[in-house]
Amino acid sequence: MDILRKAVQKAEAAELYEELREGVAVKFHGGEIESVSSVAVRGRALRVIAGGRLGFASTAGGTDAALVESALLAASHGDRAPFRFLGEGDGRGPSVPVLDPAVGKIAVEDLIAWGEDAVRRIREEFPELVVDALLERGTVDVSVRTTEGAERAESRSYVSMTVEAEQVRQGDIWSVYASRLVRRATDLDRDALLADLVRELRWGRKIAPPPTGAPPVLFLPTGTPVLLLPLMVGLSGLSVFLGTSPLTGRLGETAFDERFSLSDDGTLPFAPRSRTFDDEGVPAGKLPLVENGVISGFYYDLRAAALANAASTGNGIKGSLLGGGGFRVPPGPASRNLVIAPGEGTLDDLIQQMGEGLIVAGVLGLGQGNIQSGAFSNNVGVGFAVKGGQVVGRVKNTMIAGNAYDVLKDGIRAIGGRAEWTFGALHVPPVLTTGVRVVAQ
Amino acid sequence: MEDRLREAVAQSRADYTEARWEQVTRSRVAFQRDQLMALESGEEAGGIVRCLVRGAWGIAVFTDPEELPRKVAEATELARTAARHVADPVALAPVEPVEARWQGEVRRDFRGVPLEEKRRLAEGYNKLLREHSPLIASTSVRYTDSWRTTIYANSEGTYVEQGIPDVTLMVAAVARKNGDIQQGFESVGYAAGFEAVLGKEEQALKAAQRAVDLLSAKPVRGGTYTVILDPDLAGVFIHEAFGHICEADFLLKNEPMRKVMQLGTPFGVTSLNVVDDGYRPGERGNTPYDDEGVPWTKAYLIKNGVLTGLMHSRATAHKMGAKPTGNARAVSWEHEPIVRMRNTYIEPGTVTLEEMLQGIERGLYACSAFGGQTMFEQFTFSAAYGHEIVNGKIGPMVRDVVLTGNVFHTLQNIEMIGRDFKLEGSAGGCGKGGQWPLPTTTGAPHVRVRNVTVGGR
Repeated sequence: MDILRKAVQKAEAAELYEELREGVAVKFHGGEIESVSSVAVRGRALRVIAGGRLGFASTAGGTDAALVESALLAASHGDRAPFRFLGEGDGRGPSVPVLDPAVGKIAVEDLIAWGEDAVRRIREEFPELVVDALLERGTVDVSVRTTEGAERAESRSYVSMTVEAEQVRQGDIWSVYASRLVRRATDLDRDALLADLVRELRWGRKIAPPPTGAPPVLFLPTGTPVLLLPLMVGLSGLSVFLGTSPLTGRLGETAFDERFSLSDDGTLPFAPRSRTFDDEGVPAGKLPLVENGVISGFYYDLRAAALANAASTGNGIKGSLLGGGGFRVPPGPASRNLVIAPGEGTLDDLIQQMGEGLIVAGVLGLGQGNIQSGAFSNNVGVGFAVKGGQVVGRVKNTMIAGNAYDVLKDGIRAIGGRAEWTFGALHVPPVLTTGVRVVAQ
Repeated sequence: MEDRLREAVAQSRADYTEARWEQVTRSRVAFQRDQLMALESGEEAGGIVRCLVRGAWGIAVFTDPEELPRKVAEATELARTAARHVADPVALAPVEPVEARWQGEVRRDFRGVPLEEKRRLAEGYNKLLREHSPLIASTSVRYTDSWRTTIYANSEGTYVEQGIPDVTLMVAAVARKNGDIQQGFESVGYAAGFEAVLGKEEQALKAAQRAVDLLSAKPVRGGTYTVILDPDLAGVFIHEAFGHICEADFLLKNEPMRKVMQLGTPFGVTSLNVVDDGYRPGERGNTPYDDEGVPWTKAYLIKNGVLTGLMHSRATAHKMGAKPTGNARAVSWEHEPIVRMRNTYIEPGTVTLEEMLQGIERGLYACSAFGGQTMFEQFTFSAAYGHEIVNGKIGPMVRDVVLTGNVFHTLQNIEMIGRDFKLEGSAGGCGKGGQWPLPTTTGAPHVRVRNVTVGGR
């Protein structure tokens, strides 16, 4: 008997989430291949509403009966479900392209060749570097079915490539990395990835004293999570409902610089976290979060939406950009592809414009500290000093501190004209700011 | 499954084969403010096969137990493909084959505790937090338990069956006043039973009060300070800043760093002793046998201020001419074992906190940790809160305390090691190479360090 039918023998409603992840990965360590692996993992999660109460259980490998029993047990001690599962009559959004059949044709030997090529090209210019790389490709088949008649299924492909180059000298160790996650084979621009990496390696050949005090700070796309992580938490409808977001009660208010617009888009073709439907079956759409500085939306899953008297925005996702997802966890409000609207000017223009300042390409301790308040205080893992409109070298033992909400309200000097994909699913241009404090040892 | 596993590795045509099958029973209860966010229990199972062919690894992860023999063949084939590209082949340091069965000790097995009782426990702590002060805007309480049963067999004749318990509790409160938001939290984690998370009311109240206190605390002034780390934070420091660079896989392809990390090099004051211990009763980092079937050791990383040991897997031990230390751990059946810490701590010294405070005109008492991260020798970690030290006395509370520096300089700058000691399992876990959260325990006494860079506004 179908598991949903089995579940509703004792429950009023049920929702089954199924995920089959199949793929291969090639790992390089110290410039050499270390392992090739395959994965074929099937996981399931069942939510039930029984006696009006919500229950959740997940399993890999377990039987239908055990999964149903676990979910019913959870429901019997659970709280009232404030929402209902997606129904037959609920809207289906337009189909978002997320599957590229060509991805399945990428052979293990191809991945190995790409890794070897990356190692060789970096070492041509920087023979002393230790190079690590991880290349992956595969598909994730996801389906969501409910007893209310909703049935959604799609297959999503992925290709990812991460390259890290470490320079190790006594008393001076640093590393840079570049990463791409795409859904379409032809979207993997290995040249651009290596160009990003090599640019930073060149900038970092010399060590330069960091500017201190409150100089202009230019966040490269890879550095923008410092500013965006607090917003990812603060714009969640659940944080807003619970009152842990500083944006609670401020919808429609101008909380940011008018040049700052942020949207969460699940429909960009083949983008890293794009999808036709979220993990509750709700169509993924495009959601403006901040429009010209004005707070214009929060993102919701079914449950947070019901609590807050709002509608799901198709953001019911298992796991955030920070990871921790998969079939094991219940869906919660999480962003899809976060997009900052680009401004004007190239990266070089911005560097010229800042004159003297600090470029932040990556930090240590991301997301640590009191992230809800917007406060950040991070060691600059990869950063560069700028003097006379030129990069003069990389900085060491340097910390930045500030508050993301303050910086994005009063501290934006310019937003670059070209957005790049970074950090999994952020599509962001470089952002030039003031009001960030820089401390060096 | 035991027979299937033994048979599959015995029939493998690879040079070396190991297979691990895990069954995990877990439950979780989570409250946020007045909302029950999670209440669940369940079971999952999955396996991983790892084969070595001419010095290259092939790995297959799967959930269907029927597939085991096919997965051994698949991993062998992947290893063969990789082997065509290998210049520096992997080999494994020899270990004695073992046959072992181990079950973690618990007083009250959480698998027998009704879900309802777990809910009541979490709800009780949540109520304490919520009612503590009108300034508490939100709360978060999370209880988790898991019993990880692994069976492991390799083609050298080792067979290990283990049941490892893990139980955690995290309580956090968010206080809010005039748009300012601050949080306080406490967490515990043990390789123990349900008893380990009972009676934590005092911790819950401490977390709530701290959130409230932080509202009136000033942000710390950035600069360079003499800092006293409390045992929680000192433990995180030794794990993050030093422990990770003692993981031999990091040093393997890293000639210059290997020179820095030569055994016998003095790294700090002679009273400094740092240990990575595979077994301490009830501690979260316990690894009686690692995921290569190697039994636990207690390893001194630093003894009397001198580097005396590193942490190894069988592959790194072979490359570096060392003995495997039982540090090859996998966070789950979805991953291969890599070199990880277990229970890592600074051994206590002789100084009291009062003695440490003496002579500090302007310093910082940094307490508890939000987290930490390292990039090789560079570390950064966030204290949950701190206090100014003024003229040898602990002064007002400060917030946004983030410490950063170079681990080698910082170890050399350790001036005093306290005679108290605390092990902390916390509720999170360690992350490395995409494997998170691995249960580990950190520990330390109070430690006084000079010249620490503190970020701040």
